[in-house]
Amino acid sequence: MSGKLIIEVEDLVKHYDEVRALDGVSFSVYEGEIFGVLGPNGAGKTTLMEILCGLRRFDEGKATVGGFDLIKDSYKVRKSIGFCPQETLLYDLLSVRENFAFAASLYSLSSKKFKERVEFSAKVLGIGEFLSRRVQQLSGGMKRRANLAASIIHDPPIVILDEPTLGFDPNIKREFWELIKTLKNHRKTVLLSTHDMYEADELCNRVAIMDKGKIVALDKPHILKETISGEASIHIKVKDDQIKKALKTLDKYDHMVRDNEVQIFVTNPWEIMSEVSNKLISQGILTEKIEVVEPTLEDVFIKLTGRRLTEE
Amino acid sequence: MNPIIGIAKKDVKTFFREKGTVFWTIAFPVLMLLLFTAIFGREIPLTANIGIVDSDKTPITASVISGFNNTKVFNVKAFENKTEALEALKATKVHAVVTIPQNFTFNLYTSTANVSLAVDETNPDVARLVRDGIKTFFSEFYKQFYNETFHRNYTEPISVVEESSVTHQRIGYKEYIVPGVLCYPLLFSSMVASTGAIVYEREKGTLKKIRASPIRPLNMLFGKTLAALFQTTISILIIAVLAVVLLGPKINWNIPLLVPVMFLGSLNGIAIGLLISCIGRSPQEASGAATTVGIVLQFFIGMYFPLEYLPEYLQQVGRFIPMTYAAQAVRDVMIRNAVISDIFQPIIMLAVSAVILYAVGVPLYKRWVEKE
Repeated sequence: MSGKLIIEVEDLVKHYDEVRALDGVSFSVYEGEIFGVLGPNGAGKTTLMEILCGLRRFDEGKATVGGFDLIKDSYKVRKSIGFCPQETLLYDLLSVRENFAFAASLYSLSSKKFKERVEFSAKVLGIGEFLSRRVQQLSGGMKRRANLAASIIHDPPIVILDEPTLGFDPNIKREFWELIKTLKNHRKTVLLSTHDMYEADELCNRVAIMDKGKIVALDKPHILKETISGEASIHIKVKDDQIKKALKTLDKYDHMVRDNEVQIFVTNPWEIMSEVSNKLISQGILTEKIEVVEPTLEDVFIKLTGRRLTEE
Repeated sequence: MNPIIGIAKKDVKTFFREKGTVFWTIAFPVLMLLLFTAIFGREIPLTANIGIVDSDKTPITASVISGFNNTKVFNVKAFENKTEALEALKATKVHAVVTIPQNFTFNLYTSTANVSLAVDETNPDVARLVRDGIKTFFSEFYKQFYNETFHRNYTEPISVVEESSVTHQRIGYKEYIVPGVLCYPLLFSSMVASTGAIVYEREKGTLKKIRASPIRPLNMLFGKTLAALFQTTISILIIAVLAVVLLGPKINWNIPLLVPVMFLGSLNGIAIGLLISCIGRSPQEASGAATTVGIVLQFFIGMYFPLEYLPEYLQQVGRFIPMTYAAQAVRDVMIRNAVISDIFQPIIMLAVSAVILYAVGVPLYKRWVEKE
C-alpha cells in the first residue's frame, strides 16, 4: 500500500490495571482507504479507536493522526477527525437539524458551511426526509444514519467508526455499508472497527485482525484469506448420530468439525467433492448438505487464534 | 457558531423541551410561596374557641361575653361551672377558659377586678396567641368601660406611640416571602440545572462526542454556565410574574440593583452544582445530592422566614451559604428600598464566594471531564 500516510500507530500499549488492553499495536492507514480493525469483543478495538480520538490516554508507543501527534497536537487531531461511536450520541429532544447545529458549533463551523453540510447529509446520506423531526421520533436505523451524519458534519478528512452497525438488522446494515462506501467516494479516509467479518470483507481495503490487544494479521481481505486460510473448503452436514462415522471415513483429509458440519481442507475441493460424496454413500452415511465454501475472514481468525470471532 | 453559544443553546432547548421539569421547576416555588403565605400571612392568625364561666351574671359581664363574640377572633361557649369548663379544656374542645368570679362588677367599680385564665398549653404557639388575645381584649374592654363610666378618656401611665415604619409601609408576610422565593431559582435552577446538565452528558454518553471534538473543557463550562444563567433568569421572571398576579405584593422592583445580586447568586448556585457533579460517583448520586442540598439549603438562607428564627448554630450554617446574602440583598432592595451602598457587603460576599467556588470547582471539573 502506498500514498499519503494518514494514521500511523507504533507499538501502542494500554493497560487497565493489570489487563494489557493494547499490547504493542502498530499499523498505518493511507489516504482514501477504508481500514478495518476486525476482532471479537474484548480484543481492544474500542480502546484503540478511543485512543485515536483523544478520548483515552495510552501508556506506551506513538501515534499520529492526520500528520499530527496524538499527544502534542491533540487539538488539531480532534479537528481533523469525525468520530462515530457504537452508541447513538444524539439529543432525543432536539431535532436532527438541531443536533447537527450543535455538532457543527463544536467545530466552530460557519453558517454557510453548515448549510452546505446539511445539504450534503440530506442528499448523500439520505437524511433530508427527517431533518426536522426530533430524534426521539426516529427509528433505530434513522438514528444511526443521523448519528453518522452528525459526526461528519464538519467535513473531516478522517472518519473513525467504532462498530457502526452493531445491533443492526441485515437490511439496515447493507444500507449503512453503502453510506460508508459513499464516504470513501468523497475522499474520506475511514478507520472502522468491527467484529463482523462480512462487514470487514465487504468494506475494507485492508484489515487488521486483532485479538487480545494484538494485531495478529494485517492485509487486504482476499490476501488474508488466500495466504492464511488457504483455498475453499468442503462443508458436509450429516445427521448428528453419523458424525463419528463420517469423521472415520474422511480421516485421510485435513478436517475439523464446526457447527455440526465436517469441514475438509484440500487444495482442489471441486475435484475431490464427488470422491468424498461417494465415500460417504458407500458407508451408508446420508449427507444433508455438501458444498464447497470459499474461505472467510472468520476462517482466517480461527486459523490464527483457534477461536471464533463471535465467541466471548 | 461559537461552541460556547452552541452548548448553551443546546442545553436551554433541551431544558425547555422537558415540559415536566420546567413545570415543576416553576410550580414548586410558587406552591411554597402560596403555602407559606397562607400559613403565616393571615391578617387574623386564628379563630379560637374559649369557654367562659360567668359567676357574677351582671350586665357588665354580659357585655364582656358579647364583646368576646364581636371580636371574630373568639368563639365563646358559656359554661355553668368551672369544673365543666375545665373538662372541655382538657378534651381540647376549647382553647382557653376564662372564669369571671362573683363581685367582678363590684370590684371593677371599686378597686381591681380579677378574672382567671386557663389555657390549653399543648400547642405553645396557639396558647401564646390566645393568651395575648384575651389580655388585649380585657385591656381594651377596661378602656371602654372607663370612658363610658367616668365620661373621660382613659390614659395609660406610659403611652407607646408607634412611628411610621422605616420602610414607609407596613410589611405583610407576602411582601416578606416574595423576595425570598425569587431566590429559589438560585438554588434549584442554577444548582440543579448545572449538576444535571453536566452529569447528563456523561450518563447519556454525549460527553464522548464533545470530548472527541476540539472544544476545550473550559469552553464547555462557559456554555453550561450560560445556559444555567438563562434558565435561572427565565425561572425568576416567571415566578416574579406569578407572585405579582397571585399575591400583588407592595415591593420595590429595583431591577438595576436586583440584576447583579441575582447574577452573582446564580453563579454561586452554578458553582455549587459544579462541585456536586464532580464529587458524585454516579450521575444518580450527583443529581440526588444536588436536589437534597437544594431542599435543605432553602430553609437556611432566610427564604421563607428570617434567619433569626433558626437556633444560633443553624444561623451560623446559614451565614456560610452564599445564597443567604443573595436573599438578604434582594429583601433589602425590595422591602427596605436599599440603595447600592446598602447592599455593597452582600454583593462583595457573593462575588468572593463565587470566585472561591469556581477556583475549587474548575480544576475538579476539568479532571472530571477528562476522566476516561
